[in-house]
Amino acid sequence: MLPPLLFVVILVLVPIVFIALYSVGLRSNIPGSPTSFSLADWRDFLTGGGGAFRGRFVYSIKITLFVSVVTTIAAYPLAYFLSFVARRHRYALLLLLLAPFFTSYLLRVIAWQIILNNNGVVNSLLWALHLRPRGSAVSWLIYSNFSVALVLFYTWVPFVALPIFVVLENMDHRLTEAASDLGASRSATFWKVTFPLSLPGVVAGFVFVLIPTTGEFIAPLLVGGPNNQLFGNSIQAFFGDSPDWNYGSVLALTLIVVVLVMMVVFGRFLNTDLRAGPGAGR
Amino acid sequence: MKATGRFGTLSLNLYFWAFVAFLFAPLVVLVIFSMNNNMTPTLPLSGFTTKWFHQAFSNGELTGAVARSAGIALTTAVFATALGIMASIGLMALRGRALSFAIAALLLPLVVPYISLAVGLLILLQALGTGPSLGAVVLGHAVITLPFAILVLLPRLRSLDPAMSEAAMDLGATAVGAFRLITLPLIVPALVSSGIICFVTSFDEFAIASFLAPSGKPTYPIFLYASARTPALLPDVIAIGAIVIAASLLLVAVAEGGRRWAERKLVGSGAAIENAVAEPTISLAGTQ
Repeated sequence: MLPPLLFVVILVLVPIVFIALYSVGLRSNIPGSPTSFSLADWRDFLTGGGGAFRGRFVYSIKITLFVSVVTTIAAYPLAYFLSFVARRHRYALLLLLLAPFFTSYLLRVIAWQIILNNNGVVNSLLWALHLRPRGSAVSWLIYSNFSVALVLFYTWVPFVALPIFVVLENMDHRLTEAASDLGASRSATFWKVTFPLSLPGVVAGFVFVLIPTTGEFIAPLLVGGPNNQLFGNSIQAFFGDSPDWNYGSVLALTLIVVVLVMMVVFGRFLNTDLRAGPGAGR
Repeated sequence: MKATGRFGTLSLNLYFWAFVAFLFAPLVVLVIFSMNNNMTPTLPLSGFTTKWFHQAFSNGELTGAVARSAGIALTTAVFATALGIMASIGLMALRGRALSFAIAALLLPLVVPYISLAVGLLILLQALGTGPSLGAVVLGHAVITLPFAILVLLPRLRSLDPAMSEAAMDLGATAVGAFRLITLPLIVPALVSSGIICFVTSFDEFAIASFLAPSGKPTYPIFLYASARTPALLPDVIAIGAIVIAASLLLVAVAEGGRRWAERKLVGSGAAIENAVAEPTISLAGTQ
């Protein structure tokens, strides 16, 4: 018990403490430079001249919420199909849905780059079919909000379908039978019985995409333009090409706090409750 | 009355299969262009070739990066799964508030964004006075995959009948002996699941590796990222990518088939098979 706990404390909690120390100026990555407690970076980010980073933060939250909502809506019919239509082969088909995830994420983003590029698959197909004059690319296809949102949507849809599917599978199917026996139409049964009962899965799926997308920075690097960079990209830049570990720590800690708040708000819907014994939460 | 009418069944079928096509489209695109006789991946296709595969295999930097990532992923899988067993056995003995606290602590890596964790680990390395290293990448990957190992192993350990190890110990086995002879063989399918999930996660991880790997020793994802911006390298990357895709999909199919077979042998009930699919996949969904 103790070794794994210590492992997590040293490799997760201690780094967070260091991030906090950097964010208030108590440490510095430049050797020999003086360190003292200062909230200047926090003040700059929250209310001062760091408007560019605040703007990027707001943009990130907006695109994250948008992708989460669209992904959840698109995933619901997939889960419904698996649970109610594809009864016999539902686990095999679920695996089919999840299989692309097991291949490299970067490879899939690169594939999307090849598809959406200015001389990529979509554009060259349009040219070959004489639907657009050769050499004229669809402008919003790549390095746009569309391309970033599409890649994130693509990545997360199967994982939103999963918790919804689990909830639908564990639903008491006698309830829907009772509803139809009592004269409810198919749509009334769905909207008054099935859908309300599946809401915990819907919320869990929503969180499954919301939390990882909040810290995303790879998709914007490869398919986003300068205006589509996310908050994670700001953090990466401060620890990479233009180092300012103190300001970067302010942003990194902000991201941790935002995600932890989301977890506190939504966490009880997640099916990772291991406290109870076998069969719990199923 | 069935849940969907004929029209509903038809449209849901269409929707599902269209979605499967959408999900596999990028993979298919990569496989097609890996055999296309043109430097630039664009339509129309320019004829069949295997030259990119030959070129990719003679690209020492690329094959080196793949081998490096495979080594890191294998070490991570063994390490994280071993820690996962320790943690799960420890958790089985806890109750009440201590249990909630320990679970929250052990699953913490699931909710810290990788980018924040990556820069935190970079700071930690600097504070310790050691530079980036492949060992640091393994440690970083082990900590993010530990929750997956626990989420796979703990439910399986809990599903075992404690009377079996008790009987072994009544018959003279030590606690360690009972674990080795009774518990361990029974959780082999879960160990394999845990190993695969940790391996795949580590092999594919970019954020942490990009901050902790030494500059001359890129992992496979780091190499992929660099070459995505270098058109001359793209054909090599696509060729190796096509092989990685085929290998991953094969691994999924074999692992799933093997697990179903093992579960059927061990438990012989349909419920166990359902759990075997649902549990690892649910825990996977936490990946970033």
